[in-house]
Amino acid sequence: MIAPEVTLTHLNRADGSATYTHIGYSIIGAVNGPIEVQRRDEQPEDATIEVNVRPAVGVGSPKERHLETLLHNTLRSIILTRLIPRTLVQITLQIRSLPEEDDSTGVNTSLTILPHLLHTALLALLSASIPLRTILTSVLIAVPSSASPNTSSTPLLSPTANELLRAKPVRSIHVFAFSGDRKLLLNESDGTFSYAEWAEACEKAEEVCCGEEEEGGVKLDEGESMELDGQVQEESLEKWLRGVVRRKVEWEQRWKSAT
Amino acid sequence: MAAAASAPPPALTFPRPIFAAVSSHPFLQAHLSSDQSKRTLRANGRTAHEFRTPGINTGSLTHCNGSAVVRLGNTTVVCGVRAEILKEEDIPGTFADPVLTAGGSDDNDDSADDGNEVEAARLLVPNVELSTGSTPSHIPGNAPSTFAQTLITRIRSLLHSTRLLRASDLRILHQPSTNPEDPDVPAETELKGYWVLYLDVFFISIDGNALDASWIAILAALRDTLIPRAYFDEEYEGILCSDSPKEARRLRLRGLPVPSSFAVFEGRQEAEKGDGEDWVLSDPDAFEEAVCRESVTVVVDCASAGKGTNDAMIRRVEKSGGGIVNREELKGLVKRAIDHWSVVEGALSGRA
Repeated sequence: MIAPEVTLTHLNRADGSATYTHIGYSIIGAVNGPIEVQRRDEQPEDATIEVNVRPAVGVGSPKERHLETLLHNTLRSIILTRLIPRTLVQITLQIRSLPEEDDSTGVNTSLTILPHLLHTALLALLSASIPLRTILTSVLIAVPSSASPNTSSTPLLSPTANELLRAKPVRSIHVFAFSGDRKLLLNESDGTFSYAEWAEACEKAEEVCCGEEEEGGVKLDEGESMELDGQVQEESLEKWLRGVVRRKVEWEQRWKSAT
Repeated sequence: MAAAASAPPPALTFPRPIFAAVSSHPFLQAHLSSDQSKRTLRANGRTAHEFRTPGINTGSLTHCNGSAVVRLGNTTVVCGVRAEILKEEDIPGTFADPVLTAGGSDDNDDSADDGNEVEAARLLVPNVELSTGSTPSHIPGNAPSTFAQTLITRIRSLLHSTRLLRASDLRILHQPSTNPEDPDVPAETELKGYWVLYLDVFFISIDGNALDASWIAILAALRDTLIPRAYFDEEYEGILCSDSPKEARRLRLRGLPVPSSFAVFEGRQEAEKGDGEDWVLSDPDAFEEAVCRESVTVVVDCASAGKGTNDAMIRRVEKSGGGIVNREELKGLVKRAIDHWSVVEGALSGRA
């Protein structure tokens, strides 16, 4: 799997920002918060979270509203909203580009973009130093139909739009998001599948997101071997995420650590 | 309770509705964790696993091709299906003509992959409207709220991913009487248009679980829908509809996907006790939806597959908002959804 490319805190005016590019999807995320909240949205014991998703072309449609609702529900469960009551955390996600084949893959396009939106939102929240309960990582799994001639029906992990197009018809498609403590935060599954198939996909996703079950903590010297440009890596998404943040912190502290 | 309200109470006690309004979370937790009886009841008198039985009334609207009124407790929803003709020249998109074969070849469920045809030509147009006063959070006169737009998107994607309708039911075909190229060979069948189905869902009142109610209403209305026979008239050079109700036909739906929604109530831990207990509530009402953050929807279809947890066909899983429901929990929810499927199936076929 190719690791996504991320630029952290590159917008000057926003409190936190991130640009995320992965297999043809490119999204800019900006977070403002905690800021003043409108009177009617104010909650006495909680922070209000506002998510705006802007499509690559045109204005928002019901599809974007649905994505916003999903992101809102998921992010609300990981942001420590009770620490910053009566404030607003505003998350804006601008989709910059989509793969060319995205429309013609025959699968639900709001599912293919969902993992990327979740990652961008989380990175922007980290960049804005919003208090979080845990981190999250997300992955897309597509199960091709066994009837399709050119591919076997092994599940595709985080497939590119082109791979989806070739695997057509896809029998089922799943998006999973896991928290840092291996809890299933979000799942959207579509298509035709049995519980056993779902459980298998879920297990696989957990492995990709959080790494193997057995290992203890994160080893400290692991980040050294990783390279910035996306090359094929066999590490979990959680390690990738930690690596992205570690590199940013190291870069910001280069003067301090040099002296 | 009424006597205590008049005089200043010795301890701090509230009447039930005020307790529910002031501190909703402890109110529900007190209900669920009371161990006076064996079955703990929710605030609405149901057990945690109990669904509301749908009440279905079809054919209530006269100006629709099909309609249904569905009640799920205090959630009341009306669905009307209106069929309109989409002429060949108005078909949207850059969409290739489907391969037309002699009628009846795609009756088989698996052979036809016509879902793309229904989606690309936009033959299904669902819309959700919330009536004034249906729910306190809905302010009339505004643009459709995020809630309504989310609901439309979920219904739309469920309609297309389950491939509920057959494109062959919606095509309007015509076989010319003479073949201009070769008079001896019968002319090829041509596509002259489509039936477009406008599915209008109107909420009279919402007391939680809007998706299940609206989907059951859509299913009931589609099963009730009668499409008149449409034919291309060569002299008139346009599509005409037959006036005879005997020639009208019903839609043949593929399977019967039924959604079951659950809300996850996270019990807060008290100081001396350990972890708080969690409950997964079937078919939440509006009060429970406001208190619970995590929600799960499982769509199952047992029409063709078996009813065991392992061989039942799942069409969709939606889960967001928290991390309580894991792999094992979901297995239990699938089982509950399968049990609920039989109830809804019975209600839809008028056996309830």
